[in-house]
Amino acid sequence: MATAVPPPSRAEIISLFRSLLRSAREFPDYNIREYTKRRTIDSFRDNKSLSDPSSIAAAFTDGKSQLQVAKRQAVVYSLYAPKVKSIMDIKH
Amino acid sequence: MRLLLMVAGELINWHFQTQALTKHSQFFDTNYKPFSLYNIPSHSSCSLPLVVFYSFPVFNSSSQISFPLLFSQSSMASIAGSSTFMASLSCHKPNQALTRASNFNAVSLAINGKSFPSLKLHSAPSRLRVSCAAKPETVDKVCSIVRKQLALPEDSAVTGESKFSSLGADSLDTVEIVMGLEEEFGISVEEESAQTIATVQDAADLIEKLIEKK
Repeated sequence: MATAVPPPSRAEIISLFRSLLRSAREFPDYNIREYTKRRTIDSFRDNKSLSDPSSIAAAFTDGKSQLQVAKRQAVVYSLYAPKVKSIMDIKH
Repeated sequence: MRLLLMVAGELINWHFQTQALTKHSQFFDTNYKPFSLYNIPSHSSCSLPLVVFYSFPVFNSSSQISFPLLFSQSSMASIAGSSTFMASLSCHKPNQALTRASNFNAVSLAINGKSFPSLKLHSAPSRLRVSCAAKPETVDKVCSIVRKQLALPEDSAVTGESKFSSLGADSLDTVEIVMGLEEEFGISVEEESAQTIATVQDAADLIEKLIEKK
């Protein structure tokens, strides 16, 4: 296997968490926005108790690729944003 | 010939618009004070010349995105693209009729960018702007958000001095709290400043500083 990659630091993980939540805010669709927030919170909490550095690194890499997906999709979705906002947004 | 077609199209659209305006006329008195500030005569029949003038440069550009952009307070330069929505306005909320009608003034005066501060106020009803800098109010709001996030009972002691960690929040909770505060107050917290927040009072001070800076 390749040389051991140092596991991500605590600050990096927190920063990834913040970036994912920020990217969730960019979606014009209420459902996707809520799902992204829920999913990141759930997955980060589930993996909180990981202790094996390689699994931590794998989860971190997974999270980073998901962040790229979310960023791309936010741009694509905003190109075709619906004119009528969801009722959950209007109730605010 | 093209001119004739454009004028005819504008006549039809203008007809729809006045219909929409009269239908929703009860809204105009209370909600649309800024409307009168700009002395827009578009309610009356003399809007026709304005309509014709307005349609010339932008007839071919139809950007679907411009209306939501208008509401999200991004550049008002996208005003120009919304002229082609006139026919669909009769079935839309009066908000959009207002913004479209006020666009006339913008184009005829060749103003773009942030020229309608009061319009922005009305087009952003969902944003909570804390206008008074009273500290207790901010602290209270922060406390309520913290309570909601950490699912604490209503009578738990959350004061300005309580630390997040003592309330049972880990670092993920802290990030979520900061995100909730960003959304509530409409601010954007930097990475470094977010990491230094340890107590409720810290958060309130940071929020006030960011609101002031805006």
